[in-house]
Amino acid sequence: MAKVIVTPETYNLVFFDSGRIAELVGEAADKAGFAADAEIRVEVDERVPLGRTKTVSLDPISIWVEGGAFEDAKRPRQLSDQSVQDVAGRLLFRAHDRLGGGFADAPDDDGLTLPQQVAWDAYAVGRAERAGLPASRSRRLYHFRNRHGFNDVADAAFDRLWNGVDLTWADIEAACQETAAAKEAASA
Amino acid sequence: MADAKKPRAAFAPWDRRELPGSFTVEETAKRVGHYKWVEMRLFEALGGWVPTVPELDVKMRLGTHTYHHAWHADLWNKRLPELREMNPERLTAPANDHIVEFFEAMTEPEAPEQTIEKLVGVYRVLIPAKIAAYTYHLNNTSTITDAPTIRSIKFILHDEYEDWTNGEMLLQSLIETDDEIERAAAQQIRLEKILLKAGGIVGPGSLGGESQASAETVGAPA
Amino acid sequence: MKKHNDVTSLARDSRFERLSLEDQFSDPRNAVMVGRTGGTGMRRRLDPARPGSPDRARSLMHGIFTGEIQALEGAGRTCFDFEVGTGDDEVPFELKLDMARQCWDEARHCEISVKLGEWMGTEIGEFAETTVLFEAACNPDPVLRLTGVNRALEGLAIDVFNTMREFGAETGDPLLHFCEDWMLADEVTHVKMGSDWLRRLTEKDPERRSRALEFQRVVDKLFSGAGFRGEEEDSTIRLARRFRELAGFSTDEIDEISELSRQSRDEARARIAQRALTEAS
Repeated sequence: MAKVIVTPETYNLVFFDSGRIAELVGEAADKAGFAADAEIRVEVDERVPLGRTKTVSLDPISIWVEGGAFEDAKRPRQLSDQSVQDVAGRLLFRAHDRLGGGFADAPDDDGLTLPQQVAWDAYAVGRAERAGLPASRSRRLYHFRNRHGFNDVADAAFDRLWNGVDLTWADIEAACQETAAAKEAASA
Repeated sequence: MADAKKPRAAFAPWDRRELPGSFTVEETAKRVGHYKWVEMRLFEALGGWVPTVPELDVKMRLGTHTYHHAWHADLWNKRLPELREMNPERLTAPANDHIVEFFEAMTEPEAPEQTIEKLVGVYRVLIPAKIAAYTYHLNNTSTITDAPTIRSIKFILHDEYEDWTNGEMLLQSLIETDDEIERAAAQQIRLEKILLKAGGIVGPGSLGGESQASAETVGAPA
Repeated sequence: MKKHNDVTSLARDSRFERLSLEDQFSDPRNAVMVGRTGGTGMRRRLDPARPGSPDRARSLMHGIFTGEIQALEGAGRTCFDFEVGTGDDEVPFELKLDMARQCWDEARHCEISVKLGEWMGTEIGEFAETTVLFEAACNPDPVLRLTGVNRALEGLAIDVFNTMREFGAETGDPLLHFCEDWMLADEVTHVKMGSDWLRRLTEKDPERRSRALEFQRVVDKLFSGAGFRGEEEDSTIRLARRFRELAGFSTDEIDEISELSRQSRDEARARIAQRALTEAS
């Protein structure tokens, strides 16, 4: 299992356990294809109950999350195993993509448009689900429709991404262009 | 086209409605008052149970059925003044003390674990008894003089059949063990016994028989 | 079955988890949020341009769903808790009929909310349930209960449904827009019902009317939730003036709710700042 370093080690505002987070992220890293000697850093901002997340570095892999992203939506301030693996799976599959050749042309995370982000997420979470990580297809589909349109073209693009294997950045871009064209045609 | 001036029978050959019926105006008003009382107690009970039921599908169905029976109560409330009862509250009454006892027993289950008992009372005892009493009334009242009551009963029976089916299906889906079958049966037996003492939802005569106030068909030619 | 139950009697299956107001207010992270949200500690407007807006809409939709369950339960209890009569603890027959009708409407809203939740990728019970809505429906005075529920709570529902309806329109979500529009029509009816009964039942009792309106103010302020609902640019839920007017609210009454919301926001800001100060020292 990859080596996972979680900061902070202890929490004052939430009831999180960094050992448990490390264990869950380690499992997700294995499933995303990271080698056993890979190092993954996780930084949790426990002060914020919101759910923003990002990958801040690829070498070593460093992810940053607001505490709300790992939180149980039913039990405030409690850690949710499912949320940790949902977030970690999505970010680590994407990070793994960037380390391969097929996503060399992708902009930095900050440079991604919302449609690009959710399209890539659909591809990442689809694989995470097939790898056995917790994932909600219907939630991702709703995100996708919000950014790509509530129509058959968008749904077909989502299915391709969700079920995709060995896709590249060009495939993500193509899906975005296709749904944008469908939206434009509908509004014309 | 036929000759517009040609006299036609007032009642078409297929229209077999007749004047005679089993109920006088007074008897009908009394019966309608009992119906209203029963429908009111039922919609109140269903509404009261809504928060106490944990099963989401049952909770939502009870909410819908609450309105059905409130609407029936409203139909009867509006019918009473048409039957010369200018103070509808006067006749909004239970047929007898046993009917009161029946409703007390039916609404006794309150705990969240007692959904089966709640549903059995309504859907296996009360609603079948209502359908029986309404159908008896429908089949025995004057099809011409009491047409407004008939129209209301037909609307009501439509709801009752649908609600009965809904309730029975909910029950069948909730009952999963021998113990639950026994619970359902015990509640049904307990309530049926009280209802038997009451003589039906409008008392003795709910389904006619010797207790019917007027044994003779009212309005029949001598 | 006993008359007049309380919030502890609400029966739920194992998917639901209840969150108390105390738990909400005692979350130590509230103080941190102050600096991020203009001092209120509350989240911002439901803006489709924000990356997290679909998830916020999902969460809000789940809140609507649990609110509809409680509205159904509240209307059901009003059918049961009060006898027909003219006493202060009794109600007219027609009021009970209106509440039964509301039961059906709320049951339908629950059904719509479940379907919309599925459409948005949300599971039943995915988020915690707060019970502040039902608490307003436990008032033993029927006039106060009706005013609190049908004017304050259902009034909030008008604002919420309108916000979600607009979100659906902005994101091009045809189902969300369609359903919210239908539910909004029902809520306007419910508020109107509340306003009509308040007027009729207190026609000769101005003191009772003013107590009912005071109760409404308390509930309205609570529902304004530290600026959660208001007319500020960043209020999560915007006060829907046009639909409130259709429901029978006067301009003065809407202005008053807007002002209550501003007060609630200011008080929350002061409370959280005070807590932050205490914790810092």
